[in-house]
Amino acid sequence: MTTPEPIGQGDSARAAIAPSAASAGLRVLIVDDHSIFRSGLRAELEADIIVLGEAATVDAAVLSVIDLQPRVVLLDVHLPGGHGGGGAEVIREAGPRAPHTLFLALSVSDAADDVVSVIRAGARGYITKSASGAEVSDAARRVADGDAVFSPRLAGFVLDAFGAVAGETAETTEELDRLSARETEVMRLIARGYSYKEVASTLFIAAKTVETHVSAVLRKLQLSSRHELTAWALERKLL
Amino acid sequence: MTRPRLRLLGGVCAGFADHTGLSVTTVRVATVLLSLCGGAGVLLYAWLWVTTPNCVSPTIAEPLPKTSLARPGRSPDLLPGPPLVAAPALAVDVSLNRSAPVTEILLGLALLSAGIALVASRLGANIPLAVVVPGIVVLAGIALAWRQFADVRSGAAQQSSALLVRTLGALVLVAVGILLFFVTGDSPNVWTVIVAAASVLLGVIVVIAPWVLRLWSDLADERAARAREAERADIAAHLHDSVLQTLALIQQKAGPHSDVARLARAQERELREWLFTGTRGGSTEPASDLAAALRRIAGEIEEDFAVHFEVVTVGAEVGVRSSASPESNPSGGDAPESLVAAAREAMLNAARHAGGAVSVYLETGARGIELSVTDRGPGFRLDQIPADRLGVRESVLGRMHRAGGSAAVRPGPGGAGTEILLTLPATMRTEPGTAAPPATPVPTTRAATDENQTDAQQTETSMR
Repeated sequence: MTTPEPIGQGDSARAAIAPSAASAGLRVLIVDDHSIFRSGLRAELEADIIVLGEAATVDAAVLSVIDLQPRVVLLDVHLPGGHGGGGAEVIREAGPRAPHTLFLALSVSDAADDVVSVIRAGARGYITKSASGAEVSDAARRVADGDAVFSPRLAGFVLDAFGAVAGETAETTEELDRLSARETEVMRLIARGYSYKEVASTLFIAAKTVETHVSAVLRKLQLSSRHELTAWALERKLL
Repeated sequence: MTRPRLRLLGGVCAGFADHTGLSVTTVRVATVLLSLCGGAGVLLYAWLWVTTPNCVSPTIAEPLPKTSLARPGRSPDLLPGPPLVAAPALAVDVSLNRSAPVTEILLGLALLSAGIALVASRLGANIPLAVVVPGIVVLAGIALAWRQFADVRSGAAQQSSALLVRTLGALVLVAVGILLFFVTGDSPNVWTVIVAAASVLLGVIVVIAPWVLRLWSDLADERAARAREAERADIAAHLHDSVLQTLALIQQKAGPHSDVARLARAQERELREWLFTGTRGGSTEPASDLAAALRRIAGEIEEDFAVHFEVVTVGAEVGVRSSASPESNPSGGDAPESLVAAAREAMLNAARHAGGAVSVYLETGARGIELSVTDRGPGFRLDQIPADRLGVRESVLGRMHRAGGSAAVRPGPGGAGTEILLTLPATMRTEPGTAAPPATPVPTTRAATDENQTDAQQTETSMR
């Protein structure tokens, strides 16, 4: 579990990355097919997060995202409607028409194919629904700031998928199919439950560097053609 | 109406009696009397025999058992396969033993009539051979067909060649017999030929019918199994969507330390276990690999303490080698039981003294096994523990040392909490059993080098 940590008050660099995340608050859309969960999450989210609306199906979510242009969409992986593609379908349909919108996947499931499907569709993070309101708020802020949000389980899955434990390391930064030694270390610590700040202090690097590494890993996860990832993606008819 | 297992011939009379509430004897007498009325009874019997199913085994008829929900993954009834196949075979086996030996009786009748005909013709009696010979052939044919029928129903004869030979023989015999009736007739005309053709067709149908019936019932069973599977998938999807969500919400609202959250988590785990084992084909044997063992331990401890374990496992699957039978896996890739015991003790320690969210991270790589238990509690240092407190010192550190690995207790990330790191180099995993402690110092593991920045804070184990 990552402990919530206050994120960049008045950080000009981040404001440049996220022009629509106004200081008035972070505008989010909640997409989940369970009204109990939506209302629960809405009540739990911290005060600076403004919930623009809610959607319960793929079709409604796509319309809402295009219509409301939220900064962050808290997106359930399993959704009814559409062509049966769930959260990943929402990202693919609505993403191109809402260029400033970022997606954070929420799920009760931590099955590998669920994770891969939304991440490859373009989600910037993945957390489980048992996360507290503070954790979800924090994750939403991180995503809005352009960072990737990795739960310990997702980090463990990444280590597995890229064969990092077996000792495979990337030689160059351009290589998409393997993690670099530093990225592996960061992932290993995140899998152990360290927060980004704790990873930074353990490895004696800046917190921003940790975020860079995590974003690089996310990019590899989305673009890599490693056969484990492709197989899962094929299974979910993503390719 | 079904035909019972306990039967004389086909079980039709018994089934009918059971269905209507009449006595079996009455039904049988009535059938015999009807048979005398131009064979109406025989026709009726045959018709009922073909149309009424065998008494189905309880496994097939049973709906989705409720117990499997209460105790996830415990009920074997959900398993497709063995019960469905075994139960009908058993039932028919019993029925075969209880029914009259029709094949032998028919063959005997055929032989007897052949003998009588032979003797009678020798004695000079005018035997209509044109009727007797085909009659004998037909009797033998029916006997063979019967044998094949019974075998097919019981599913006993799986040697397809034997079955094929017998079936072909029966077919030929029946066809020849029926043909003979008409060919040897005095004046063959259009009508006898037509009737002969129809008869041959009938004979073929009679012989093939059991196969068709068998296929049909197999198909029905298959459909039922698929329907049950679909029903299960529906339930799983529903539980996944609604119940798991609700349980997650409860945990979210209640906070990690409350009883409500603990209950919700326990329920969630049971449900997940049930859903998971269901999709995996229902393997229910106790987990023998290290990751599953850790998850099970986490579940057990969560039931007793206000703690939430986040278990993350990475790398190849590693089995657990029982210390009682060190040779259980000769390839030697397994982790010793003492590692599991040490991990359990470390997790218990975190649950007891820290609580809240505890991370358990297992990494199994080519170089060995690394396991860390990180909590966010008040933290402790080994040198602050009184010498008479043996919990961590003996059951974690000592145990790992004897197993050929090492253990370290150090402050958690950011100086808060405690991190217990258990490492077991790969070379140690190949040695059988839990041997004496190695004379050489504990090898430096990859994990230790990875985090050598924290060496200053680290309290390395050098027990005994």
